[in-house]
Amino acid sequence: MTKRYIGSLLVGVLVGIAIGVYIGWEQFPVEYTNSSIAALAPRYQEEYTVMVAEGYQVDRDVNGALTRLQPLGKANVFDYIQDLTERYISQSNVPAISPMVALAEAVGRRTPIMEVYRTTPVPTPVPFPTQ
Amino acid sequence: MIMNPDDRQPAERGLSWWALLLGVAFGIAVALVYTWEIDPVIERNTAPWQLSAADREDYVIAVALSYTANQDLALAFDRLRALRPDQDVWSLVADVACNRIKTGQVVTNSDIRVIRALEGLYRPQGASGCADGQYPTPAPVTLSAPVPSATPSPTLPPPLTKTPTPPVPTDIPQTGEIIPTRTPPSGGYVLSRLESFCNPAAEGMIEVRVYDRLGQGVPGVQVSVTWSGNERDSFFTGLKPEREAGYADFRMTEGRTYTVMVPGLTGDPRSVEAVPCEVTVDGERVTALTSYRINFTQRSN
Repeated sequence: MTKRYIGSLLVGVLVGIAIGVYIGWEQFPVEYTNSSIAALAPRYQEEYTVMVAEGYQVDRDVNGALTRLQPLGKANVFDYIQDLTERYISQSNVPAISPMVALAEAVGRRTPIMEVYRTTPVPTPVPFPTQ
Repeated sequence: MIMNPDDRQPAERGLSWWALLLGVAFGIAVALVYTWEIDPVIERNTAPWQLSAADREDYVIAVALSYTANQDLALAFDRLRALRPDQDVWSLVADVACNRIKTGQVVTNSDIRVIRALEGLYRPQGASGCADGQYPTPAPVTLSAPVPSATPSPTLPPPLTKTPTPPVPTDIPQTGEIIPTRTPPSGGYVLSRLESFCNPAAEGMIEVRVYDRLGQGVPGVQVSVTWSGNERDSFFTGLKPEREAGYADFRMTEGRTYTVMVPGLTGDPRSVEAVPCEVTVDGERVTALTSYRINFTQRSN
């Protein structure tokens, strides 16, 4: 009699655990509602970065742009800006290239691949007036 | 009445349904505690609607600034809807603007531009809030071009003076580009150097340098400076790469005491004071404002 109950209980526990794991990890996993920007999916992080870069194009406030990128929690935000800019150029993500290049340039990360996408005109040297 | 042993056998060999159901219930309870509390699904691929209130505000600001640049209302709407599905997104923008004003987050010109960007997004859509018209966009100023005089009088260049300009002592600039390395943000920083110097050519400067544990300059570190109790400014290392990758500076105002901090600073932050100092330049005493070199180095774990 005892063996029968224990056996049934163990079978029940195993079945219950299987059902519970399926519910807890697959069907109704924990949904976080108090997340940080650093936990955003990469596509949203990148979209956020482009938005910040577009804002920089308007106000030219590099400190403000970097402050807004801090919540992303990148180890080296300059590297991140450069990498993302170069990736967008290689992917021909046209709308994002111009603001990202402007931001990369502002933080001193202009690389040769970005050169043709610069919106800031290069000042032409003014010749000295001759006597 | 004597029970035949053969009658009991089938029930003893089969399952006890009560025990089975009890086991299932217990198993589900244990599994849910484990999957929801002890080892929940790792937080990644979070969507914007899951952001905290503070981070949602940052996201809304980014959308508004982006809208100011591209004027793409449909794109701004889609981005905001990702934050607040099936709800009025424009009132969310108005609330963010209002909240920033109420909480005193409008201090700098940059903050004012943010409020204007937010207002420029929600007001044309019919939303309103306490930020309405608080920081109106200034009307464009038209400058009249100066009328050139008919007969310009040529100005002769001033004759060279015989008195040579006294050389001003300057810091020796660092030469060579330092390539920043990837540095893990963990570990925090310690104050590794704090010294004052007197240089009339760079008076009243706080020169901050941030290094990783290998001695390489770290760009992109936010340096915060506070003074007069609640006044605050922040700036980032690496924006003057011609100096050093981890370099940033800040100009002080005479008579104020400044506290300099970086994120994860271990130990109490140190304060520096903008007091006058004297230095001899070419045998002549020159008064300037004291400057400071402050280095932060990443702590070894």
